[in-house]
Amino acid sequence: MATSVTGGSKDAPTNPRGIPYAPFVDKVEDYVTSRTEVEATLKSFQEMISKYQFMEVNTQRRAAGLKDKIPDIQKTLDTVRFLKTRKPGSEPTETTFELNDTLFAKALVPPTEEVYLWLGANVMLAYPIPEAEQLLDAKLSTAKLSLTNCEEDLDFLREQITTLEVATARVYNWDVAQRRKERAEHGGSITGGKPASPNG
Amino acid sequence: MASTQGQQIELTSLTAQQLTQLKKQLDTELEHLTTSFQSLRTAQSKFRDCLKSISTGLNAKTADKPLLVPLTSSLYVPGTLASSTHVLVDVGTGFFIEKSTADASDFYTRKIGDLGESLKDLEQIVQGKASNLRVVEDVLRQKVVGASQES
Repeated sequence: MATSVTGGSKDAPTNPRGIPYAPFVDKVEDYVTSRTEVEATLKSFQEMISKYQFMEVNTQRRAAGLKDKIPDIQKTLDTVRFLKTRKPGSEPTETTFELNDTLFAKALVPPTEEVYLWLGANVMLAYPIPEAEQLLDAKLSTAKLSLTNCEEDLDFLREQITTLEVATARVYNWDVAQRRKERAEHGGSITGGKPASPNG
Repeated sequence: MASTQGQQIELTSLTAQQLTQLKKQLDTELEHLTTSFQSLRTAQSKFRDCLKSISTGLNAKTADKPLLVPLTSSLYVPGTLASSTHVLVDVGTGFFIEKSTADASDFYTRKIGDLGESLKDLEQIVQGKASNLRVVEDVLRQKVVGASQES
């Protein structure tokens, strides 16, 4: 007799980020003993599906934000590395920077030991160049890791939602089959021999 | 009894269904025009901003003051202004033109003026469409009331 562990579920009850697995309904009788429980079960399945969908939307939003940030962090890291290379006593670099949407101005940037990083939330800190490079590197790898996690979570969530939908379909079919059986028995016992044909 | 200015169609000759369709069409057109109006407005205010930046940031005083130069969206480096007389203006399609501050201010003022003109024209059209819409709505309401009274 198959228990609930078949393709799609692993042994741990939650995935690495704490999202619980959806129960895999192999035998409907394990979950539903009588027709009265069917509606409650279906409702609980629907609830679980909507919870997963909510989590899916959140994860998608997070993944999109990360996807935006990563090229920015990469660019900043590359610029810091470039600044590191031309440090020792060379002439100032001339650069054009953005004053406004369509307006740029020229500036002279002398070689400097420190850079200023905008950390968000109205916070800007000055860092010596090696520390800045370390910080940006760490930020970039964390962001990339979070992005892979998010994508993994999204796949996992979609799997669980499908599992639950299959379970709902199974329970519903089982219910229909039971109803048909009951009607057949009922019709047989009352009319005694007259074939009851359920019109489905 | 009411006829629109541009089309000269007798509105009362149209059925209620056609009138609803016409109203929906006018509605969408009005929405598009209003959004375009707003984007033109935003563009105009951005150019005004540029104008202000030129006048406040690029004068003889700021030329030697230490400055935090943005290199990326979160990276700033201390530096100084290389030139307080020339700026680069993005004129679209990937072209950047170096202009003196006076020319740049002139350029932005002209852009603001052009946009102002377009905004005024657009405003006229929007008002025309809005009044057409109101007329159509009135006729439609009368038709509906008339139809319900008959039946």
